[in-house]
Amino acid sequence: MCSKRNILNLYKRLLRESERFESYNFRQVPVSINYAIRRIKDSFKENKTLNDQEQIQKEIQYALKNLDIIKRQAAIGSMYNAGKLVIEK
Amino acid sequence: MIKMAALVYGIRNALVRSSNIILSTGCRASVIGIQKSLHTKVLKPKCSSSLLSVKVNPALRRNFAVAKPSLDDVRERVLRVCKEYDKITADKRTRLPIRLYSSKDPMTLELIRDRVLLVLKLYDKIDPKKLSLDSHFINDLGLDSLDHVEVIMAMEDEFGFEIPDADAEKLFKPGDIVRYVADREDVYE
Repeated sequence: MCSKRNILNLYKRLLRESERFESYNFRQVPVSINYAIRRIKDSFKENKTLNDQEQIQKEIQYALKNLDIIKRQAAIGSMYNAGKLVIEK
Repeated sequence: MIKMAALVYGIRNALVRSSNIILSTGCRASVIGIQKSLHTKVLKPKCSSSLLSVKVNPALRRNFAVAKPSLDDVRERVLRVCKEYDKITADKRTRLPIRLYSSKDPMTLELIRDRVLLVLKLYDKIDPKKLSLDSHFINDLGLDSLDHVEVIMAMEDEFGFEIPDADAEKLFKPGDIVRYVADREDVYE
């Protein structure tokens, strides 16, 4: 479960799902990358140097839970789309 | 009584068909008038939307009440169709408005190379001065495996197809990526 390839796969899936967030509320103007993407990148970088197997497992479980949350929220967000704000056009 | 009904029916149909001709010659008001009085729907010409630059062949429109075409007419139309026959679009042509769902731009090896290098240059963790086809992402350009994943994702977005992890693991240089994309897109040079 904790091979390097699995972790990288998880990273990719998380980033892909976060790209689907549409609403302006999830973004920041100058960077135009949403909160989820930035948080994912930062936390993966931070935990890069972890060596303790148990800790790694815990982080993986945390990531999987968040993957589900992001999927759900992106789906809901796209269902109840409020239309583009003037700034975004 | 029945004859009267048949007569009325005949006139009605003639009016409907003539409204079709009138429609094709562009007089909408009279068509609407006929429509309303007869409570019928006018048959619209088959291909009325002009979404694409591929022009719709007006000869495909059905005009039900046109007199029989003369020999010259037929000859001209056959010649026109033959002249317009073009192998590339021939089997895509249908009677309905044409939608080209899968038209790709022509890919050459050089184009792939340029696109890959452009994407990499736009990535801010890569120093464009060190970038070349043979520079190794991790050893030469100083990226780590997470950045490598991001690069592969950018390539997926650029070329529009998914790259499975097993393949992505082996792509460590821009040259590898170019070769991989060329293989997937069947570009041989």
